[in-house]
Amino acid sequence: MPHVERPATAEACAEALRACADLRHTVRVRGGGTKDGLGTRRETDVVLETAGLDGIVDHVPEDLTVTVRAGMSFAALRDALAAHGQFLPLDPPHVARGATVGGIIAANSNGFGRYRYGGVRDLVLGVRAALPDGAVARAGGRVVKNVAGYDLNKLFIGSLGTLGVVVEATFKILPVPPTARAASATFATPGDAFAVAGALLRTSLRPTALVVERTADGRWRLVIAAAGEAAPVERAMAELRRAAAARGTAVEAIDEPEAALDPLREIVDLADGGVVVRAVLPLSAQAAFAEAATGVDRGARVVADAASGIAHVQLRDEAGIVVAADGLLAGARILGGSARIERAAVAGLDPFGGPEPSGAFLMRRLKAAFDPTGILEPARSALG
Amino acid sequence: MTAAPAIARAGLRGAELAGALRDLLGPEKVLWAREDLLLYEYDGAVDTATPDAVVLPNETADVAKLARFCAEHAVPLVPRGAGTGLSGGAIPVEGGVVISFARMSRILELDVPNLRAVVQPGLVNLHLSTAAAPHGLYFVPDPSSQKACTLGGNVAENSGGPHTLAYGVTTNHVTGLELVLSDGTVVRLGGKALEYDGYDLVGTFVGSEGTLGIVTEITVKLTPLPEDKRTLMAAFPTMDDASNTVSAIIGAGIVPSAIEMMDQLSTQAVEASVGAGYPLDAGGILLVEVDGVRDGLDDLLERIETICRASHAQELRVATTALERDKLWAGRKGAFAAMGRLASDYYVQDGVIPRTKLPQVLRHIIAVGERYGLRIANVFHAGDGNLHPLIMFDGSKGPAELERVREAGREILEMCIAVGGSITGEHGVGMEKNCYMPLQYSPIDMAVMRRVKEAFDPLGLMNPGKVFPTPGRCKEFSINAAR
Repeated sequence: MPHVERPATAEACAEALRACADLRHTVRVRGGGTKDGLGTRRETDVVLETAGLDGIVDHVPEDLTVTVRAGMSFAALRDALAAHGQFLPLDPPHVARGATVGGIIAANSNGFGRYRYGGVRDLVLGVRAALPDGAVARAGGRVVKNVAGYDLNKLFIGSLGTLGVVVEATFKILPVPPTARAASATFATPGDAFAVAGALLRTSLRPTALVVERTADGRWRLVIAAAGEAAPVERAMAELRRAAAARGTAVEAIDEPEAALDPLREIVDLADGGVVVRAVLPLSAQAAFAEAATGVDRGARVVADAASGIAHVQLRDEAGIVVAADGLLAGARILGGSARIERAAVAGLDPFGGPEPSGAFLMRRLKAAFDPTGILEPARSALG
Repeated sequence: MTAAPAIARAGLRGAELAGALRDLLGPEKVLWAREDLLLYEYDGAVDTATPDAVVLPNETADVAKLARFCAEHAVPLVPRGAGTGLSGGAIPVEGGVVISFARMSRILELDVPNLRAVVQPGLVNLHLSTAAAPHGLYFVPDPSSQKACTLGGNVAENSGGPHTLAYGVTTNHVTGLELVLSDGTVVRLGGKALEYDGYDLVGTFVGSEGTLGIVTEITVKLTPLPEDKRTLMAAFPTMDDASNTVSAIIGAGIVPSAIEMMDQLSTQAVEASVGAGYPLDAGGILLVEVDGVRDGLDDLLERIETICRASHAQELRVATTALERDKLWAGRKGAFAAMGRLASDYYVQDGVIPRTKLPQVLRHIIAVGERYGLRIANVFHAGDGNLHPLIMFDGSKGPAELERVREAGREILEMCIAVGGSITGEHGVGMEKNCYMPLQYSPIDMAVMRRVKEAFDPLGLMNPGKVFPTPGRCKEFSINAAR
């Protein structure tokens, strides 16, 4: 059983990391534990829990910024901001299960609002990180524009805890929009669904979600959500009706947009007995990728954030599932994107399969500079 | 104005270097004559230094060959776009080779279905939006110098512009890069998809001011042009009224595509030069633009007008035609140039503050101006809290005058830091503010940045003397570094 550390301050966190580095003890970083399935599972000597680093440090409603400790749950932050009529415009998965701010940053965990509001990398203004040498470093700041020095926020976001432990972050936030609506239209082919999505994207509608989902009966359902003032939101709904009608399809109104989008976000977790592949693709490659997914598994579930080119495929056919998943990883690369295994209930899969990312030699140099003894998150990332 | 002292480094220099480069790349790609080099010793800021040679590459392979040669002979490399930078980023302060991207200025691909463009670093910012316009698309970051500045320079500085309030700065619009590292290695990072496995090196590189590597190709997002826009000019009796209006608009949940502010000194200079139609008696004016689908834009504009009136606006004018809108914007975009009517030289600062601190910090700037006996005009991105105080002076009075101006600038930046802000929002640190970095970052923070520098450029030949404090020039800040 790994030893559990639960530091109560940033400094204690850095001190714990330094002690681990001295002893060459490997460390896994854990917030809500909702990203445990990412990467290769390997037991570490120490599990460093961020639960002790909780709460809002500073919230200036008038400046639309909030600074929070990394162990705070996203749900708690959401509720605290809602009391001021504001929100952090991220809609990542796992929120109901306890996803923390730090885990969302470390895993660069985004939702469907990314096209409209930006993702983690666009909304984080600054971070503080505890490093294996015992230091606590600050990157960025608390203002919405800042180009002083290197943008180290970007380095920590998505680094899966392999460089240091994010202990605090400052975000841009927004007032809650007055109106939110959603609607869907269902098409026979992925080509049709993605074509309509693409056409809606080429407007200034700026939807808060544009999702293509493969339905249980093998059809392709496009969901559009919009938020803001009533008139532009209504226009977005009208544009979907127009585009659907042009292809002989009717539109269904969705009464509760959040309730409809939630299960689509949580496809990430639906790997009981299957495999979830996550692909990031050039926008125009999504339809081909969706075809490929149903080609390798006729029962595949597909949920694509069509506005950002991020597709999740759940393979369910146990026969040949390893070959099918590897095929999809390769397919994403051939289409100009990248892919990884997000969740797997079967053995024998390399989560990142295939060649190393371009620039891996630079990433290794950075890893060696930040974590010279290699204690942080072994086997967690694409770098192994 | 002032030429920074050359720092002696071992390595090939002068005529010997220029001769070797001619042999390496061919004489048509190298400038070495004294009169040619003079054109490359300044940028948009106040420092100057002369390169040993200028190289004009035609392709990535030229850059890689040059970098390998310079690595072997310990020669610094300084990339340069159009030289419009405002922090001395393109100044070869330690000598060496300036790489001009004037011949690598093409759009390689307009990929409309993927909403991407692949471009060479020497491409002029505005040319990209012009080429994308027939497809209903544009490139969002729009620095005031966009008619001249290049995408390579935008990537190096992480440039902003008036319309980045709602849509983000350069780093929010770059998905792929091709780089040449200081040892001549060519590496591709990212691509047309939104993200790739491993660390976000694209995001880490953007804004690194040429100190990590040389950009030779850029993949950027293109954005659908707004269906419609509304542009409002609001004049207020005081800057406080204008400042409070900015916070009130944002606080009401409205995120305009731009909110720009100008003080009276600026509007007077602009009126004399451009004739944008700004009222001369206003203490401060705002330009507010909202865009998007046509539906609801007029309602939104009305709400903004109501907020302006509640904050004592003395005059509101809505641009009703594209021509009128262009005229209002011409005043803003031509504001820096118009300062030439007020003084022979100006020094522009770029501090950022939390929006709510605008009234307090603007008053401080006025006080600094009075204390130093310097006229300071303010033209800036109010919605972002990104100040641009323009300190006017007469460069012919010599280096002591410039030193006084720098001191006034430093006091303004210290105030920005004191209220929780940044020393630069979009112009970069360069060699202009590298001594001030310890005001904003602790020695630990700086040491972590150094790790990144050494991972990318272990030879230390990429744009030396920038971003990080240099012992020779930054002595007076060694005390602050202990902060």
